[in-house]
Amino acid sequence: MFNLTRRRAISGTIRAVAGAIVSLAVASTALTATSQAALADDFPTKPIKVIVPYKPGGRTDVVARMIADKIQQKGWLEQPLVIVNADGGAGANAFGQLKRGGNDGYTIMHWSHELLLSVAMGLGGFQLDDFKSIGFTGGGSPLWAVREDAPYKTLNELIDHLKKEPRSLVEAVAIGSIPHIVGAMLEKSAGVETRYVTANSNADRLRLLLGGNADIALFAASEFMRQGENLRPLVYFGNERLAALPDLPTAKELGYDASWANPNWWLAPAGTPDDVVKKIAGALEKAINDPEIAEYFKNNTLEPYWTGGDEAMDQSVAMLASLKSITDTLK
Amino acid sequence: MFDAFLVVFHLDNLLLLLAGTAVGIVVGAIPGLTATMLIALTLPMTFHMEAVNAVTLLIGEYVGGISGGLITAILLRMPGTPSSITTTFDGYPMAQTGRAERALALGIMASVAGGIISWGFLAGMSPTLAHFALQFGPWEYFTLVLMALFMLAALASGSLVKGLLAAAIGMAFSLPGVDSSLGSARLTFGSDTLLSGFGLLPVLIGVFAISQILREAAEPKKEKGKARLPDRKLPVHWSDAKVHGMNMLRSSVLGTWIGLLPGIGGNVAALVAYSTTRQLSKEKEKFGTGHEPGVVASESANNAAIGGALIPLITMGIPGSVTEAILIGALTIHNLQPGPLLFQNSPEIAYGVIAAYAVANVMMLILMWGTVRYIAMIAQIPRAGLLGAILVFCVIGSYAVNNSFSDVWIMMAFGLVGLGLELAKVPLGPFVIGFVLSPIAEEQLRASLMMSDGDVWAILHRPYALFFLAIAVLTLFYPMIIDLLGRRGGKTESANV
Repeated sequence: MFNLTRRRAISGTIRAVAGAIVSLAVASTALTATSQAALADDFPTKPIKVIVPYKPGGRTDVVARMIADKIQQKGWLEQPLVIVNADGGAGANAFGQLKRGGNDGYTIMHWSHELLLSVAMGLGGFQLDDFKSIGFTGGGSPLWAVREDAPYKTLNELIDHLKKEPRSLVEAVAIGSIPHIVGAMLEKSAGVETRYVTANSNADRLRLLLGGNADIALFAASEFMRQGENLRPLVYFGNERLAALPDLPTAKELGYDASWANPNWWLAPAGTPDDVVKKIAGALEKAINDPEIAEYFKNNTLEPYWTGGDEAMDQSVAMLASLKSITDTLK
Repeated sequence: MFDAFLVVFHLDNLLLLLAGTAVGIVVGAIPGLTATMLIALTLPMTFHMEAVNAVTLLIGEYVGGISGGLITAILLRMPGTPSSITTTFDGYPMAQTGRAERALALGIMASVAGGIISWGFLAGMSPTLAHFALQFGPWEYFTLVLMALFMLAALASGSLVKGLLAAAIGMAFSLPGVDSSLGSARLTFGSDTLLSGFGLLPVLIGVFAISQILREAAEPKKEKGKARLPDRKLPVHWSDAKVHGMNMLRSSVLGTWIGLLPGIGGNVAALVAYSTTRQLSKEKEKFGTGHEPGVVASESANNAAIGGALIPLITMGIPGSVTEAILIGALTIHNLQPGPLLFQNSPEIAYGVIAAYAVANVMMLILMWGTVRYIAMIAQIPRAGLLGAILVFCVIGSYAVNNSFSDVWIMMAFGLVGLGLELAKVPLGPFVIGFVLSPIAEEQLRASLMMSDGDVWAILHRPYALFFLAIAVLTLFYPMIIDLLGRRGGKTESANV
């Protein structure tokens, strides 16, 4: 009854051992630069392990599985992508597995800008230069919501209230997590302050907000759409308005310097050969441009787009700098 | 609703439910493998199924997985799932005194009762209950858990000091990891492995299963009683309904209620029901020695918690536990959004979940009832082979939680901790309770204080929280008051003499 991934993983290991013996033989007989190129041409000769640093079921996991399925179905890579969930330790567990897997391109990772938070908070024991960026396959942005019966109809009304009565509202966040940092960006830019209540998951934020134990909470746009009733969105943190909520202004429009476009980021360990990364990136780019995947993204308020490895890394470096300016004030 | 039952009664759905429940029971019974793990592993297979089929399969696994845990809890004192911790307290002593089948039968009956009663709440009053549960904020969670902690403080049969010591050690082991209120590392000694703390599953398997295996391995071979043939007579009678009916009802309602509160699950439900039943009992001292109501309370509550947890899941899209979070994942993959709109947009799924839950409970009853006598014979299997097999599963299970081998080392280490505690005659119950409950209490108290800007007296505005606190204080001081009154009475008497 154990599932396919497991069996695949086992046969993967067997093949991995066989592959290692073969590549050893190749390496020892032909110690020339051409053999390297030949290896990359053959890539992949065994399944590629994709590490997801969460338990199954969340956005990072679902997107990875959908894209892996699509690539296998269309045969864009000769071997399947196998998803392995490694939750825990702010990504430390997943990073450990990535490192142990080696930098031959057979062990990669699918994460998001939550990685930057772990780096900025000094958790997980890794830095950006431990990774090689493969690219972004789209992403999504969150929004701020209040209860529908709240007296504030717009973000500006809420901020005016907070200016008049500082710290009078409770925001549901987990310290050092995306809801906290994105909220803090907005508050810093607007010059206001809220009180916090710990909420370690989306479910907690929803529960506290609906039950009247918090006044403001951040939700991924897709999570918000699911709720439909009883909540009022005040501001969207994307760079542009969301098609599904055309009346909701972005923070930028309202004059606040706060945006968070959380990408689906594919990563390899630093030192993975360029041509191998290029090959994986090619398959990922095709997958994100597939109409079925694009349709799923749109239905779930995610934006399907492709950003190549280097540009993705440049954007992430810039984002990390602005995150650090926020997290440094916390310490 | 009726249509939903018809959908569930389609042959393919019935078969999936049957398969799910059966696999669930087996996985649930194996220490180390849990319902959550099974559902997580099955999830990718459901991507290519119809949504209704996917949901029925997963619900079957969930119900089976929680129910199966009682088997090993009773026969081997190894909770098959975390929800069955309290079942070991009385179930194992019952098995040791030759009442294994009776304990199993009662456990199964209680599980079914818990399932059916919470199903009633799920089918009948979901929206009302879900909205009521939402009013519970950090203060209420904190005081509820505090109440459970206090009620269980005296759980240790024997020395109170050792019980408190065990609880304190359990609490200490729950401290390392990422501080839930500050997001910073705490007591990790620079180790990345400790960032996620000591996981519940590795600790639990270590303390219960590994330590048990070590101890039995160390014991000189002793002659087991002759293998008895299973009794022809069913070990439960209608008269049990009278004896245990009230307990089943109370524990099921408590279990549903605690399952309803997102974030605390079946293990807390079983702990609270067990301690409440014990507090209300006239024969407190019998608990922990193989007392039937202990098994009944624990098993009714942990199954009822499933129904309870499904309430916020389908009415509001709020998962009550990791297992439900994975169920939500299964639904979203099929482009279904659990929440208030689910009943309008895809009623066949919303009611399908409810119907599947009822049918899964019936399947669980049939499967387990039909095989209970044979299950009881597990205890007759030569220990060497059985324990060896269990050890293998423990290692696989610990590894599979996060695909991380460090969890296996943690499990082994806690096996030694458990063995050490047992040798020092320090009870394991309070240890696990301290380990499970204190992180929730800590997080919720700190959330409460963040919310009120450090004002402790904000609790005065929370009537439910005050109520729980009052019960907690009462349980703590009740024995002392009784004792004091008794002693004074005694003194006057002796003065008269």
